[in-house]
Amino acid sequence: MKTPHSDARPPRSAEAILRVLLKPHDRETVSGDLLEEYRDAIVPARGRAADLWYIRQVAWYLFRASWVWGTVMGSALVIRYLLDTLVPPADYTTRATVLTWTLLGVCALAGFVTAWRTRSMRAGVLASTTAATIAGIVSIVGTAMMLAVWHDASTLEEWRRSGGLDEAFIDVPLKLIALGIAMGIPGAALGKGVRTRVTLSG
Amino acid sequence: MEYAYNVGTMAEVLGTFEQAVLLEVLRLRDEAYGRAILKAVQERLERELAAGAIHATLERLESKGLLSSRLGPGTDIRAGRARRFYRVQPAGIRALNYARRTFNNIWRGVKWPVTALESL
Repeated sequence: MKTPHSDARPPRSAEAILRVLLKPHDRETVSGDLLEEYRDAIVPARGRAADLWYIRQVAWYLFRASWVWGTVMGSALVIRYLLDTLVPPADYTTRATVLTWTLLGVCALAGFVTAWRTRSMRAGVLASTTAATIAGIVSIVGTAMMLAVWHDASTLEEWRRSGGLDEAFIDVPLKLIALGIAMGIPGAALGKGVRTRVTLSG
Repeated sequence: MEYAYNVGTMAEVLGTFEQAVLLEVLRLRDEAYGRAILKAVQERLERELAAGAIHATLERLESKGLLSSRLGPGTDIRAGRARRFYRVQPAGIRALNYARRTFNNIWRGVKWPVTALESL
């Protein structure tokens, strides 16, 4: 049955992201459920704001695919800052190396797992990049909270020695996003490749 | 423990949201597909829900063997995209009964609404 809103279209980019993030098993059915709700209930009730509703629904799927990885990376960063503040080492190289490899590994793993689940390389890169963004936000909030607690002169000097506030608030979050893309690509390629191979051999 | 569906795990009793979803699948009978379940659960719980929360719960319940699903035809309003229809399995019925019995046991002897110790 045709209704006045039967032809309303949600934002194309949001719909494309949704379809990429869904498993092949759910791609048609879940995107169909959202489209039906959008056209049948949300557009008639909210008009142009219906697009925001649709974007929020898609954001839920994106967040679900990446929040765990983002929290792990963000926590690793905050723990590193905490250790550097409370137990400053003579040489920061070891801690920096461990942290860097942890972030590289988690970004690649986020890409691998998401691409494995969805069989989509784009989904893997998207999840890895979003996870890195979440990690950046966690890192900024964690750093701000630490500064609220410890802001005496000697602690600030330790911060300066280990990289400074610019690094914590600007450099690291921006580098994280670049890392999310750079490591998400090989991780996702591997995830999709292994999944395809397993499926073909099974 | 005859009604428990996964004895020995941390999630022996269904959560409230899982119960709501399973009961709506039962109520909707042959019309239990994602969007219809979303609407029914929203009305029952009287709040807006993310569609993803319903889909994730349906997927989890199906992976536990409490639900089964089959594909059905799409309609014009969903651009012809298929619908996934759900059905509660015997394990789902057992899980619901166990959850209800547990709920009743927890509340036995307590006057409702709870106000203070005199409710006991």
